[in-house]
Amino acid sequence: MSTQFVQAVWGGVLFGSVYGLMALGLTLVWGAVRLLNLAHGAIFIVGAYAAYWVVAFLHLPILIALPFGVLFAGAFAYAMHLVFIRPVIGKPGFDNSTLVATVGISIAVSAAALLIFNPEYKVVPPVLSGSTIVAGVQITYQGLLVIVTSLALFGLVYAFLSYTRQGMAIRAVSQQTEAASLMSIPVVQTYGLVIAISGALAGLAGVLLAPTFFLNPQSGFNPMIQALIVTIFGGLGSIRGALVAGFVLGIFESFVEVFYGVSWAQPGVFILIILMLIVRPNGLFGIGEVRRL
Amino acid sequence: MNAGALAPVAAARAAVDQAAAPWRRVPRTAVGGTVVAGILLPLVLTRISIGDYVITLLILFFMQAVVAQSWNLIMGYGGIYSFAQVALFAVGGWTTAVLSHSLGWNPFISILFAPVVALLAAVGIGLPTLRLRGVYVVLLTLAFHQLARVFAVTGPRFISGGGYGLVSVPTFQFGNAIGEQRLLYLYYLAMVIFVIATFAIWRVIHSPLGVAVTALRDSETYGVSRGINQFRIRLILFAISAFFTGLAGGYMTHYNGGISTSVFDFPRLIDLLAMIVIGGWGTFAGPILGAGIIIGLDQYLVAIGDYRALLEGLILAFIAVFAPQGLWPLIRNTYNKYLGPEPPAPPAAVEQPTPDLGATPESSGGGA
Repeated sequence: MSTQFVQAVWGGVLFGSVYGLMALGLTLVWGAVRLLNLAHGAIFIVGAYAAYWVVAFLHLPILIALPFGVLFAGAFAYAMHLVFIRPVIGKPGFDNSTLVATVGISIAVSAAALLIFNPEYKVVPPVLSGSTIVAGVQITYQGLLVIVTSLALFGLVYAFLSYTRQGMAIRAVSQQTEAASLMSIPVVQTYGLVIAISGALAGLAGVLLAPTFFLNPQSGFNPMIQALIVTIFGGLGSIRGALVAGFVLGIFESFVEVFYGVSWAQPGVFILIILMLIVRPNGLFGIGEVRRL
Repeated sequence: MNAGALAPVAAARAAVDQAAAPWRRVPRTAVGGTVVAGILLPLVLTRISIGDYVITLLILFFMQAVVAQSWNLIMGYGGIYSFAQVALFAVGGWTTAVLSHSLGWNPFISILFAPVVALLAAVGIGLPTLRLRGVYVVLLTLAFHQLARVFAVTGPRFISGGGYGLVSVPTFQFGNAIGEQRLLYLYYLAMVIFVIATFAIWRVIHSPLGVAVTALRDSETYGVSRGINQFRIRLILFAISAFFTGLAGGYMTHYNGGISTSVFDFPRLIDLLAMIVIGGWGTFAGPILGAGIIIGLDQYLVAIGDYRALLEGLILAFIAVFAPQGLWPLIRNTYNKYLGPEPPAPPAAVEQPTPDLGATPESSGGGA
């Protein structure tokens, strides 16, 4: 009992922090740009593959590969913003266009990953190796690092949004775009900044998770679906919601997995989210349409 | 809406309708000619060497076009970002497969249940989903897609067939017809399904239901405040779309003699999306055109193998951003400019100067 219980809690906290990290990027972009970024999973693998490339082909340590992967993912997201998002900002078909465009990008990225690397699973070395045993459950140091990093990033992003000029600009744009632009806040550049930050977060999640989940051209899809669920569960555009919902869903999924079997984990989460939406259509911390972030 | 008004008003309306409702001007000769060509074409094709192959492509085209049109009906017209279309296709396919495979029913009987069960499934998804806004619909329909896949792979043996889907499902048999003769029958069956679906969707789009849907898509607040029950309209539309998708799924299952869990693969969904986007999102003929283009191009794209998905993704993204209208409006405008019938004279100029209602009827190039 107790081993299983510890197992479930550990897995849940680990998954939860990762889902939170992915969801943080999604929720930022939704809150500020009102863009449902279905290419988020693609950016996740862009970061992971970039780190893999540095490790496998340049033979550099993972500590150099990690920032490279993060920056590369951020740059990729910014490039996506320049080419595909910026031309349609403020146009009537923004929703349709960006939805289809981000789906197209995610397909193209998987295909490119398949062509450049190959369909085999890649192994990215963990930043920290080694583990310890607590109550019969193996606790990896990499896992602890993931949890600490993601909590720290939540704090960092929160502080960034609350206290820096750029962060305040992002909040202003997400609350009242027109008023913000009247206050001479460069709205489109702010969008780009948010998308780049979100991409960097996804890339970080990718690099940190690759040792646990392995990496192949399709492996961005499931984390993205989970992040979407977390985002919606917590309330679209709410950072606190993403954090809490990440842990709630991670622990829920982990308990279902440990006590009912792996095949029930995803259906269980889906059923939970459907019930949630019936009870609270705006999510856990959904704040409606007026105030976001 | 309700024309329960005085007779003179009704008479005046009838005169306006011609221009205000361009869809009433159906090019009968063009439609009739296309149908006759569709009937005669395979008879010609069987006489040339690659004809059989072209007929199988046409069958594929008919079915893909049915699914793409149904999806466009809810996505392009309805503005419901549903990604459950492939799952509903699979629901139809599995229904008829199980009925004919496990219970030994005649495929012609069991296929009738495919659209019905798909419709019921759609109502089941729609009830919790369609009250919500776009983003939530994306998530929940993707969730349904994933759930259906998990169920198809790990479900009971008579559904999962051990994890790969159902093989050795009975195919359509037309008496003793074999080979080319049977292919002809299959072609005509596919064509009948295509024609029925196309006609039904055309009717739906140009009915009060379709007008209400378009109104909701273009201005939700205004549509709702004019008394349109958004949830009900969306649910009906979703059900209609699922009906024809399920029918196409049933046909393809018996055509292929089985249904594999690979129908849930993401590229299938992307192919359908590409048909709609390339052909013309929210236009009537766009998905049909798109299905033709994708299936036609596919024969050449096989050669480039893995680059196909890369190319498709990029084309999708570029068209969505830089030419969101797709190809169909381009073709239609060219046709109207050089070959089309003369647009009827603007009625506003004929009698009394109505303030602003019928001001520019000829500029509304039709909702189609």
